[in-house]
Amino acid sequence: MAANYWASTQRRHWLFSREKLADIREGLREKDKVAHSQFPLPDQRLLNIYFNQRRLIQIIELIKLGKRMSTRQQAIATAQVYLKRFYTKNEIRQTSPYLVLTTAFYLACKMEESPQHIRFVVGEARGLWPEFITPDVAKLGECEFALISELSSQLIVHHPYRTLSELQTELSLTSDEIALAWSVINDHYLTDLPLLHPPHVIAIMAIIVAVVFKPTHPSAYPGTGQSALAGSMRDGGGMQMLAALSDKTGSGPPPKIQKLVGWLAESEVDIKAVIECTQELVSLYEVWEQYSEKSCKELLGRMVKSKNLDK
Amino acid sequence: MFGKGFPFMNSGGFYSHAIESRRPGGYTSKVRVRDRYNIVGFISSGTYGRVYKAVGKNGKKGEFAIKKFKPDKEGETIQYTGLSQSAIREMALCTELSHANVVQLEEIILEDKCIFMVFEYTEHDLLQIIHHHTQPQRHAIPAPMVRSIMFQLLNGLLYLHTNWVLHRDLKPANILVTSSGAIRIGDLGLARLFYKPLNSLFSGDKVVVTIWYRAPELLMGSRHYTPAVDMWAIGCIFAELLSLRPIFKGEEAKMDSKKTVPFQRNQMMKIVEILGLPRKESWPGLASMPEYSQLQSLVLHRQPSHFHRGSNLEGWYQSCLKNGGYSSTSSAGTPGADGFDLLSRMLEYDPSKRMTAEQALEHPYFTNGGPISGNCFEGIEGKYPHRRVTQDDNDIRTGSLPGTKRSGLPDDSLMRASKRLKE
Ligand SMILES: Nc1ncnc2c1ncn2[C@@H]1O[C@H](COP(=O)(O)OP(=O)(O)O)[C@@H](O)[C@H]1O
Ligand SMILES: [Mg+2]
Repeated sequence: MAANYWASTQRRHWLFSREKLADIREGLREKDKVAHSQFPLPDQRLLNIYFNQRRLIQIIELIKLGKRMSTRQQAIATAQVYLKRFYTKNEIRQTSPYLVLTTAFYLACKMEESPQHIRFVVGEARGLWPEFITPDVAKLGECEFALISELSSQLIVHHPYRTLSELQTELSLTSDEIALAWSVINDHYLTDLPLLHPPHVIAIMAIIVAVVFKPTHPSAYPGTGQSALAGSMRDGGGMQMLAALSDKTGSGPPPKIQKLVGWLAESEVDIKAVIECTQELVSLYEVWEQYSEKSCKELLGRMVKSKNLDK
Repeated sequence: MFGKGFPFMNSGGFYSHAIESRRPGGYTSKVRVRDRYNIVGFISSGTYGRVYKAVGKNGKKGEFAIKKFKPDKEGETIQYTGLSQSAIREMALCTELSHANVVQLEEIILEDKCIFMVFEYTEHDLLQIIHHHTQPQRHAIPAPMVRSIMFQLLNGLLYLHTNWVLHRDLKPANILVTSSGAIRIGDLGLARLFYKPLNSLFSGDKVVVTIWYRAPELLMGSRHYTPAVDMWAIGCIFAELLSLRPIFKGEEAKMDSKKTVPFQRNQMMKIVEILGLPRKESWPGLASMPEYSQLQSLVLHRQPSHFHRGSNLEGWYQSCLKNGGYSSTSSAGTPGADGFDLLSRMLEYDPSKRMTAEQALEHPYFTNGGPISGNCFEGIEGKYPHRRVTQDDNDIRTGSLPGTKRSGLPDDSLMRASKRLKE
């Protein structure tokens, strides 16, 4: 993989431990205590839902980026990772999130080989959020400099989708399972997981979730199957089954899961990490129930307007 | 006196006001080019900007080449207009890659609406070395030197290909050589990743690779790039190192007003003259190539005698060795029969049969006969002239460089490729 994940900048510079990430965020908050108390914002994951899931999808619909889901999702995913990395270096209250989001998307499209003209991107973003995006394309161009600089030009991102498709035949996954795993991967971008674990761990987590928690009606579209999934992950005893994976002696599970267990045992994947990822996902789905578009929008709007961040 | 008069040394008033207003996304570089480097001269004016020679400053040692990408101009003032996709690719790839035979990036500085890519300085490049061997009269590049160059070049390319990077613009001007004889593949401005199963390489840019080094499948209208495209170019470079002339020196047919890419008849002819016509029997995909009918019309318009003989590469090679005075008595003095075999496998019409970088490195040309030096100049008497560094850099903010107006999107490599021909 620049393409070699093990030597990649992603692994060398953008993989954090939980503690490290917490420290970084505390540091950012320390620097700007006033703004923090003045402008409370919802849980980061809810903001991610608001921006990443809703806004990026909106903009991508408008731009009609490629007909294939995969192209679109790849650009969205890369943009989301750029945002996450950017906000490990910058306090959100110092930025106009709408502008940063649009810029991350514009840059990600170029990196993922579906370039869009800057005027077009600004035009569409402005159509969606006229109160937050100015018509001046130079603003976006300038923000692009800031973004690239904060990311140290490390723009190549490795995603779990690739591992997923590589393992499809090896683990004889059905198309339903692939679809569910795919949407689990989409959802993981709403959490800190992309900063905490390598992409193949995420892919394996997604496969386990898809196989163990049997899709009832998987939706290929991100973010719509989550509550059903969350339910079954909580209640279905799947967590226990998952826990059983790590002691490798369980004899009960159905053949497909046994096969998966066997494969995992051989693959030297860090099972603990995988389970941790699953838990992170469960807690995302729980938080998701509190999501309110309106409150995100209001709180952000108040912050952006009173700090003149959109100027 | 160093650094005076070089345009990016006068950063203008942008910073002060950006600092004051602290606008969101308002951008101020944390590092400044002029605090870190002294510009000692100008090297080259390229497609997207210029390359300068610099030396480190404030304790920073060494010589550097700084590639400056110029922003677009709208009217009189320079504006942020979004970076070109190829600048983005080059930055991202150079940041990610690290190999002894790929040019080493020192850092990237984004300042004053420009991008400065700082590379290690390389004293030579293959274009210049080949040129030197034609002056004052032709004298062949010594066989061990050619072998070392090829070996290092293929090592660099193998690294790129195993990292899923296609270079797509390999030619002598882009192959850099350090003063200690190390080969560094440079100019990743057209390079891209090819692993994405998620979006095909059909999308995006149409034509790449300067025409003389362009693989036959691209000439035949294929838009599916594979590593074989780079291997063709390497074959052409090998031939050029031996003969000191581009082996297929065609003329590029210009794009018509509708921006459709024409069939490169003349270039295809040059290849056919040496390799014979490609045949369906040995290149099964040939008949389904978009320009197949064009290829056939090419046959009709020419004397059959010219075409119906097979490949004459061997004849070309033998006379090349003879003209170059490569000794046939000592095996170290000539690329010999192994060299021919390697060349013919790299200049294979069918991309699926063309030799890969990995296979090439295992070829008898390299495995037979003595160790290969990592210094291509080892044992070479005489010196190659230093890279020309001039002082006549006028204020490029006023000059309109070709290629700085991007031809809109999605990709600008079309324009870039045609501009490159003139180099
Ligand atoms: N690291 C370097 N050291 C010395 N000269 C260089 C270096 N990189 C590039 N050059 C010179 O500048 C020229 C143009 O650089 P290149 O990266 O190929 O840009 P372009 O896109 O304009 O072709 C090269 O052909 C070479 O002569
Ligand atoms: Mg070049």
